[in-house]
Amino acid sequence: MQEIIKGHTQLIDNLTPLCANEDDIRHSADRYGNSYHWFRLASPNKIKDAAKFLKAFRARLIMISAYENKDADLLMKELCYHFEVEGVIYNFTVVQNAEWPIVPSITPDFANADWHEREIMELYKVKVTDHPNPKRLFLDETLDAGQLSTAIPLSVMMNGASSKDLWERILSSKEQQA
Amino acid sequence: MSITTYTMPLGPVHVALEEPVYFNLTVEGENIKNVELTSGHVHRGMERLAMQRNLVKNVTLTERVCSLCSNSHSFTYCNVVENALNLEIPERAKYLRVMAEEIKRIASHLFNTAIQAHIAGFKSLFMHVMEVREIMQDVKETVYGNRMNLATNCIGGVKSDVDDELIEYILKQLDVIEPQLEELRDIFENNHIMLTRTKGLGLLPPEDAEALGVCGPVARGSGLRRDVRFDSPYAAYPNLEFDMIVEDGCCVHSRTMVRIRELFESMKLIRQCCERMPHGPVRAPMVQIPVTEAFAHTEAPRGEVAYYIRTNGSDTPARLKWRVPSYMNWKALGVMMRGCQIAEVALVLNSIDPCVSCTER
Repeated sequence: MQEIIKGHTQLIDNLTPLCANEDDIRHSADRYGNSYHWFRLASPNKIKDAAKFLKAFRARLIMISAYENKDADLLMKELCYHFEVEGVIYNFTVVQNAEWPIVPSITPDFANADWHEREIMELYKVKVTDHPNPKRLFLDETLDAGQLSTAIPLSVMMNGASSKDLWERILSSKEQQA
Repeated sequence: MSITTYTMPLGPVHVALEEPVYFNLTVEGENIKNVELTSGHVHRGMERLAMQRNLVKNVTLTERVCSLCSNSHSFTYCNVVENALNLEIPERAKYLRVMAEEIKRIASHLFNTAIQAHIAGFKSLFMHVMEVREIMQDVKETVYGNRMNLATNCIGGVKSDVDDELIEYILKQLDVIEPQLEELRDIFENNHIMLTRTKGLGLLPPEDAEALGVCGPVARGSGLRRDVRFDSPYAAYPNLEFDMIVEDGCCVHSRTMVRIRELFESMKLIRQCCERMPHGPVRAPMVQIPVTEAFAHTEAPRGEVAYYIRTNGSDTPARLKWRVPSYMNWKALGVMMRGCQIAEVALVLNSIDPCVSCTER
């Protein structure tokens, strides 16, 4: 059976130039016939342009997912923005790295991006510019951003005497600092 | 700031709050002018935990994100994993998943309306609603063995079948609860005390509801036609007939009436599941895990639950992120509470059916 992928042609045409290559766009459908469009944007600042197009089509922001690439050589973070237009999901991935260290806020266009952006700033140390209210959401202002990912869990600490895990963490952070 | 304007802290531990959250209310006399909210008291780092467990173990973990929406979490999590694996689940499992979800929805909505009666000072109504809810708690315990976390969903379907004897029991219990729910609907719709306390209170105009991206009964109570079961149908919902409940009063009363009327839609859905469920297997076998990413969302009792997964070919997710309905609805309190009196804060707060543990994960 041929898969039917739903979506707004005009919106997809507007969004396509925001990606650098054709391979950066993927369309899929689940087993219930719900459609998903995946765009990998050429640079983080393109999310602002995408937000403008989406707003014009009365899109709703569902969520922003941050992903930290653990590969020390890359030191990059990825953000995936999930929007809905008439039951169809549009996902936009932006890569934040040494070349593109910041991502613009979309809160001025989507008021409900406020908490999502504050959360990724706080827990993933993502640099978001022009956020209208960049206050902490969970942790106290005196704690550094990304604090929770640097802390060593109690279980690892307690097993430090008998397992190699704690020592390997210390060694790897020492190597990173060097 | 005038001399009659002051800032009033509320929480994180307060008799009107079920869970810890901190409000900074700017008050002029008795009237609220501005609301600021700080959370973070019960952050459990669950997303980080999920990235240290395999896909199967995460079914158990995600079911513990929330108590009242527990089933919706394992349901949506299984959906997102199945989307990533391109795994088709058996027809019977689709109906069994809907049945469990709607049983939970009835119990969840009744809990919220009971708390509303409690906050309004209508103690006998509170006790009565809790007594009616107990019928659904019995159903959960009898069918699934648990009163809260049903532990029925698994990747590929459901863990166990519901036999004919249990289906007969469920239908019998629905016949018992229905007239009692009709009585409750009448009380919440017409009782002078409840109307005086809730009608016209905590207004959220449709344009604010739209801008803030609220979901669930909060959105539908402000006239927005927004329900994932209709917008992006999943499981057996496309094969079942039910109505989307929308009220346009935009107030606490409207949100309550959405929940009360949804109880009857849930009963309709459970009955249809019992009657139409095809025979057959209830689980599909696990398949190889690809390197991919997937998204899934469902309609939990409080609104939309969304999950995103990124897999790396191993049995442990590279990233698992979820967003709960309360996360979207908290900010609406700033609009709802503006102009309200201090004594009304708890009622307005309860009207979004808030969950702090959910929000903070």
